[in-house]
Amino acid sequence: MDLTLRGRAEPAQPPAHTSVALELRGVRKSFGGAVALRDVGFTLLAGEVHALVGMNGAGKSTLVKIISGAYPPDGGELLIAGRRHGALTPRRARALGVSIVHQQRMLVPELTVGENLFLGRMPLRLGRVDWNRVHTDAARLLAELGVEVASRTTAGELGPAEQTLVEIARETHAGGEVLILDEPTATLGGSDAARVHRLVRTLGARGVAVVYISHHLDEVLDLADRVTVLRDGRHVTTVPTDRMDLPELVRAMTGDRLPQGRPDTGRTLGEVVLELDDLTAGTRLDGMDVTVRAGEVVAVLGCAGDGQSQLFPLLSGLRRPTRGRIKVAGREVRPGSVTAALGAGLRCVTGERLVHGLVPELGVDENLALTERGLHRPWLVRWGRLHRAGGAARTRFGVVTIQADPPVSTLSGGNQQKVLLARWLDSGAVACLLEEPTNGVDIAAKADIHRLVDDLAARGTAVLLASADVDEVLRLAGRVVVVRAGRTVADLPTGQVSRDELVALSVGGTPS
Amino acid sequence: MTTAVEPRRRLGVTVHPGLVRHGGVLAVLLIIGTFTALRSDVFLTGPNLLNVSRQIAVVAVLAAGLTLLMTAGGIDFSLGAIAAVTHGVTAQLITAGAADWLAVTLAVGLGALIGLVNGTVVTLFRVTPFVATLASSTILSGAALLIIEGQSISIGEHLAGLGFGEVFGVIPALVVIAVVVCLAIGCVMRWTAFGRNAFAIGGNERAARLSGIPVVRTKLLLYTLGGLLAGLGGVMLVARLGAASPGTGGLHLELTVVAAVVIGGTALHGGSGTLVGTILGVLLLGVVANSLNLLQINPYYQDIALGAVLMVAAVANHLRSRRH
Repeated sequence: MDLTLRGRAEPAQPPAHTSVALELRGVRKSFGGAVALRDVGFTLLAGEVHALVGMNGAGKSTLVKIISGAYPPDGGELLIAGRRHGALTPRRARALGVSIVHQQRMLVPELTVGENLFLGRMPLRLGRVDWNRVHTDAARLLAELGVEVASRTTAGELGPAEQTLVEIARETHAGGEVLILDEPTATLGGSDAARVHRLVRTLGARGVAVVYISHHLDEVLDLADRVTVLRDGRHVTTVPTDRMDLPELVRAMTGDRLPQGRPDTGRTLGEVVLELDDLTAGTRLDGMDVTVRAGEVVAVLGCAGDGQSQLFPLLSGLRRPTRGRIKVAGREVRPGSVTAALGAGLRCVTGERLVHGLVPELGVDENLALTERGLHRPWLVRWGRLHRAGGAARTRFGVVTIQADPPVSTLSGGNQQKVLLARWLDSGAVACLLEEPTNGVDIAAKADIHRLVDDLAARGTAVLLASADVDEVLRLAGRVVVVRAGRTVADLPTGQVSRDELVALSVGGTPS
Repeated sequence: MTTAVEPRRRLGVTVHPGLVRHGGVLAVLLIIGTFTALRSDVFLTGPNLLNVSRQIAVVAVLAAGLTLLMTAGGIDFSLGAIAAVTHGVTAQLITAGAADWLAVTLAVGLGALIGLVNGTVVTLFRVTPFVATLASSTILSGAALLIIEGQSISIGEHLAGLGFGEVFGVIPALVVIAVVVCLAIGCVMRWTAFGRNAFAIGGNERAARLSGIPVVRTKLLLYTLGGLLAGLGGVMLVARLGAASPGTGGLHLELTVVAAVVIGGTALHGGSGTLVGTILGVLLLGVVANSLNLLQINPYYQDIALGAVLMVAAVANHLRSRRH
């Protein structure tokens, strides 16, 4: 995904890190009956970037939560800078120099970058905040770390990458010697991700030990010095990344299970079903024309947050386009109406499943039934029928649960995503929009979801895919429309374009 | 991401998980009941219990509507004021010579209409429910005093069947009404699409809207239903007291109702709630008030007790949702 990264081409730095920043020995943790970690050992050296990979449910989150003090371990030892610690609290962990930057950005959007950096530690003069020092100190700190963000900017105006950079800067300034980054680039495009990578390298060079969690394995191999693989709560291996390649890493994560290449099934295309005609949303999407035939998968590819991210609000009826039309099976869909979109057989599946998709407190089966209920508006809820239909849908879409019908919030990301897809695609979809269908999902679930999309197209549904993930686009789509800064820059069959060409098109590597 | 264990909230009115969920309230209720019974000979007598049940019947009717509304993430601070208005209107209509049934129907209808107005302000003009209903509560409190001109208005023997009548010679008619209302709302919350949509809207409004669930219509109906039940509560008040008077209903009733629902474990942010919990909350507050009365504790402690119970319940709810 990152053409800009050429870090490995340079002479490899000798592993100068000798002192151990943090060590886990035989750590165990279970929740109720479910074992999350069994006898996990983990050694983090000062100055290294240590990637932590594994599929959803492998124990990555639990491990970093133990390190950052959110969970006490059930057993085992935790050593920070050589000293043994019992149960940590988040506050204690911070005091010991362990800090964490979460995937969800946590700056105060109304405050400036400078204020966010020194929140709780504002420099004072005569008991009052010394504003000049806030901004000069902030500017110096940011410049030292190579973060090009103005200290007086309001945090809410920053892009997602810059917010992440500022957060990382804040944690390191607070004296973090161990920094945990939880999927910092999950929602970022190539060039934005590269900025985060640069900062991570800078920190490593300054002696900060970085634990880096990511689903993007090429990123991991490129950025990290060492990688630790977890599987089913067990430590599988820890190796230097220069002694590991992608297939090997995948094998370590999945065990026997391997991801599938693109199946070479010639899809038979039918009539044009979905037409976007000059679709425009302010400056963020400019005059998009796309047609999707029955049985066809067309991808709209762009960097994270580019024009493709406007398709969900427009097509689902949440927002009215400033210009242009949406047609399903030749008939125009009334703009800005959720019911009209649903009635036309258009199904839009969000990429943010917990924001626009699922009702976390309700059970899996009731979540599965929501779209059906919204479409047919019955008077009564028949629980017996609902659970039977839910059970059938779970089997078809491969949703795995321990309990019979748990609240959907207790499921793993992959299972939640399958619930979301099952709910939207099981009820008479003529055309559908899938937005980042495998966002934050492990490899096995990703493969399952890709097969589900193949089946969907094979049944004659017109599928429009909005994605920032080149590999996924190449895996799923027959044709790709590339958007950059809201404008369509290419419309090509995926068979005629290479991965690198697509990346270059979306980040602006070649003139259009 | 992987092992996030959210609190498991039980929905619906099944008995067994309900016992688990409401164990705390039930225990407090039993402790206070036992304590009062030991200290006062009157507490467990028939007349006293009948009196308590008549008093809490009104609270239960209002609280049932509020439970459903709060499950959908709404709130209505004007229910007590609606009851005050409709209790005045009922009395005025009856003294003006209207038939009892007509006065009752008009009063309940007026309650529903006020609820609909509240709902319109909240859904169409997107005013925060807290602010919108606080404003209408203030307006209605003034209107209630205007309607009865600040005086007590007796309705004589009218509505005595409702206020003092008994079914099968033992169960007060007011209690029968409250039970019917609670059963109906309980069924709505469990078995109807309308009730389940309230849970979906409270849990994730955007997801509900994208699923094609009629969010605006459901919310309008919820506020209307809340207003209707508050109107009914006003009629029950005037029937029980035999007169409309200043200070009946209003803010104190409102706070009792909100407290009962919160004590019952309904989440203020929506998405979770049970009617069983609300009923236990209503019972608890009724027993506490009665116990203070019987033990001849200074009546000024009533509000302190109400607030304290509410505070403890809110803290307990928070701790429970964090523990999982």
